[in-house]
Amino acid sequence: MIGFWDVIGRSESGPLVKEKEFDLRVGRVARQMIEKYDIKYDPQNVIPADDGLADRVYQAGLDLFLELGIYCRDTGRLMKFTRDEVQWALKHAAATVTYGQGRDMATMTYRAVEDRKPPFCIMTPVGAPVAEERFVPMVQSYAQEPLAQTFSSAFSQTVHGRPIKSGTPQEVEAAIWNVIKLREAARAAGRPQIGIHNLVSNAERTDAILAAVQADFGVQPNDGLCIAATAELKIDYERVKKTVFLRQSGHNKYGLYGPLVGGYAGGPQATALVHIAHHFLGLLAFEAQWHCGFPLHIHHGCNTTRELLWLVSLTAQALSRNTRLLITANTFAAAGPCTEMVAYEIVAHALAATVAGADLDLAAVARNRHPEHATGMEARIGAEAGHLIARQGVTREQANEIVKQILTQYEDQLADAPIGKRLDECYRLETLEPTQAYLELYEQVKEKLGKFGLDYSLL
Amino acid sequence: MNAKAEANLIEAIVDATVHYDEARCVALARQAVDQGLDPFKVIRDGYSRGMQIVGDKFSTLEYCLPEVMLAADAMNAATEVLKPHLIQSHASDSEGVIVIGVIQGDIHDLGKNIVKIMLRAAGFTVHDLGNDAPVRRFIEKAEELSADIIAASAILTTTMSYMPDIASMLSELGLRDKYMIMLGGAPVIADWAMEVGADGYGEDAVEAVDVAKRLMQKKRGGQQT
Repeated sequence: MIGFWDVIGRSESGPLVKEKEFDLRVGRVARQMIEKYDIKYDPQNVIPADDGLADRVYQAGLDLFLELGIYCRDTGRLMKFTRDEVQWALKHAAATVTYGQGRDMATMTYRAVEDRKPPFCIMTPVGAPVAEERFVPMVQSYAQEPLAQTFSSAFSQTVHGRPIKSGTPQEVEAAIWNVIKLREAARAAGRPQIGIHNLVSNAERTDAILAAVQADFGVQPNDGLCIAATAELKIDYERVKKTVFLRQSGHNKYGLYGPLVGGYAGGPQATALVHIAHHFLGLLAFEAQWHCGFPLHIHHGCNTTRELLWLVSLTAQALSRNTRLLITANTFAAAGPCTEMVAYEIVAHALAATVAGADLDLAAVARNRHPEHATGMEARIGAEAGHLIARQGVTREQANEIVKQILTQYEDQLADAPIGKRLDECYRLETLEPTQAYLELYEQVKEKLGKFGLDYSLL
Repeated sequence: MNAKAEANLIEAIVDATVHYDEARCVALARQAVDQGLDPFKVIRDGYSRGMQIVGDKFSTLEYCLPEVMLAADAMNAATEVLKPHLIQSHASDSEGVIVIGVIQGDIHDLGKNIVKIMLRAAGFTVHDLGNDAPVRRFIEKAEELSADIIAASAILTTTMSYMPDIASMLSELGLRDKYMIMLGGAPVIADWAMEVGADGYGEDAVEAVDVAKRLMQKKRGGQQT
């Protein structure tokens, strides 16, 4: 057995290592494991169907984690674990997680590779920046989607007209406002008790975030927060503080990991191993009930490139085949709302993740940075794709052929992807319905996807 | 040393840098000193050119971050050998002095570190404030070093809100005209950066170097740097 405080104690007793040495060690160990386990990236097998490869990736990721451990930035110490400890944590990992109350209750459960059960669909603008007056409409556009099982927040550029600065009193005010407005959006969507998986996007500091987690502000007992690794296999106390609070408050918690292809680990194979290892980090250091991955391309800032789709699918297969962890794949698209490209990117990512046993977190678009460029329609496109892929029983081999055709629609535009339209250009704000133009664009894309092999009549 | 031998040595330096071979980079720097080569030229045509190739390889992901870091370390170790031999006139031949850091409240330094490496490789003198640096520290350090550019990075929307304070605090202190401001980071877009008073914005490390060079040209009154 390994308890939470035993884990955290190792951040004060483990060996001292310079951070730069640890960063370089990540790449070195990843290279050794790639060689030892013979892991090769094949651009023609974007969605691999090789169980042996998936299992080797899992074992390599586990070995990498045991070799590297977790780096605590506050103490400069390595937290190392044994194979038995990781196995124990896996054995005792959450089997289900439930969000929401009453008719809005939804439970995330394990999915297998090529599972016919539809993916759990989390919908969120992923903290996309938005003007204060359009905050509620933006998040409501996600909460009102019929396939949304939880939702979360955009980032309001101001609160009460004042900009939000991390570490200031205004940040606490912004966090509380954030929670109140999310519940207001849920009510406006007619889903007053839908779960909120991450309550606060308007604040970064833990004191501000925790100040907002109050029933009086509309927080339900099983709403929750994310806890993020700060970089490849690193944690810091500021974020771990949230774990301590959530252990006592009983709210749900999940781990958030975004390793970079091209970053400290290296290319897609190395980053895949680090991504696997992050799930053990989340399980041990955050006691995460489920795990959200958003591996990104270091230059493109998205995960819809060919090598990222390979990584997303292979790591999800590896985890689904070798553990019962609850895993989700968070789409990051290069293009923005109301473009054909964003629809193709989201469906490609949904294919890679859904057939691999992952649930879906939908969706950061326009590289998650352009104000007002995020709408519930992108989440709908991803969720509908995930549902029909599962219902249709798409295999990995079929998904691979479909995704290669989809890639021909956008791959050459990744570096210069269109940012698309703003929320107020994609939706009629009075009724919060997508514009006819956006609906027609989606229909056209669906028609083409039908030719590629996706049967939208199953929806 | 004849021209051909000199060219061969420079090419060897480029190769050693591209292959992030620190021991060889240092040995070649010593050889260049022993054979009386102009250290400035050795840095410019050898190590910096090697780092430019490393940057190109990084942009296509032929190289990833560890290779870039190792190549930068190799170059830095070699330039330590060459530094004492730089003649005074060349010693001040920096492309410009930059104070760089991750803005207050933010601890995500990966992007800033890559930009720092590339700026140094391009010949800039870069002082790194690290993470979570208050705006006041950027300005104090810039004043202390008589810097040319203040460069700030943010990866969080809640921390980028501090970025406008750089221009406004410089104005408040009557220092706005002394410094160029460069902003970057995941949530920062060009239009916003300009709106909040930046002089330049870098989408990535490669662009950041180009922007820094352009700002130095502007600062030096249009002279080619």
